Amino acid sequence: MSLGDWLRNGWLVEHETSLQETIELLRIADRDLKECRTVGLSEDWRLAIAYNSALQSATAALSAEGYRATRDGHHHRIIQSLAHTIGADAGTIARLDGFRKKRNISDYERSGAVSDQEAKEILILARSLRKRVGDWLKKNHPELLHE
Amino acid sequence: MITEKKSDRKVTILFGKVRRAILTVLFGRTEEAFYLRQIVRTTGFGLGPVQRELKQLTESGIIWRAVRGRQVYFQANLDSPIFPELKSLIVKTAGIGDTLRAGLASIADYIKIALIYGSIARGEEGLRSDIDLLVVGDIGFADVVVNLQAAQKILGREVNPTVYSLDEFRAKMRANHHFLTSVLKGPKIYLVGDENELRRLAAKRLARRA
Repeated sequence: MSLGDWLRNGWLVEHETSLQETIELLRIADRDLKECRTVGLSEDWRLAIAYNSALQSATAALSAEGYRATRDGHHHRIIQSLAHTIGADAGTIARLDGFRKKRNISDYERSGAVSDQEAKEILILARSLRKRVGDWLKKNHPELLHE
Repeated sequence: MITEKKSDRKVTILFGKVRRAILTVLFGRTEEAFYLRQIVRTTGFGLGPVQRELKQLTESGIIWRAVRGRQVYFQANLDSPIFPELKSLIVKTAGIGDTLRAGLASIADYIKIALIYGSIARGEEGLRSDIDLLVVGDIGFADVVVNLQAAQKILGREVNPTVYSLDEFRAKMRANHHFLTSVLKGPKIYLVGDENELRRLAAKRLARRA
């Protein structure tokens, strides 16, 4: 399935992005990569912040292609869309989706069920995703990065 | 009509305790035959109740009974018309442990402890309950998630792992970390390692402290 099919399924809507929007999304992604390393934060917060960075990067790529995810399950959809935007492999998407579920749980069920190991892993994943999206934008949508 | 609430009741409602335990043994490993004493030992129920259940299950054709020498063996009846459905039912409910163990098999060398805690370990799960998993070892969260993808599909349940490195596990045990201590106090189903291994890790913690 392509993003066009997703649009027809109602999973996405068309969206016209801008230089400002892309820069803002990437700025938040960068900010969160930094803030999740704030000393003294609990593991579940570190995970949630690094996850948010990854989500902003993925959103930047999706909006550069002219779409945004509709409300139902939109985090899941944004993560899956990475296969169609930056060409992420199934393993990377499965990993990121695992952290999405993990973050949902730590929100309302079991705070404390996030390990330091997991917080470190999502940071590495989010950092590499930010870089990949940046490189991909430079190559495919340079107009969204420079005035 | 079955309401949402009723369908989500704990699965023990389907069978009595003894019957469920026997079916778990026989349908967990359908290619194996078990003799009576094995079944008694594995299920932990008394000889009388186990014999009664085995008799009824044999008469119904759900399992079969064979005599070899002095031993009487029991095995899941693969030719029973409801075998596939029953097998799938057991796997999705009581057979969770075996399915997850198979999923972890290829990374088990890197794992010291893997155990199920929460509603499933307590036997209080609904048909939609997630599987809460604690893993300690030299392995990442992402590797555990990727390796359990197939098992999640088979079971039709989400698996929620929490993965600790050995060092982090020991440090958190030392600090009486709330989540970890409450998990270890509650009922557990071991997938990799056992109570002894856990005690050994805990003992190292005490040795360090001394």
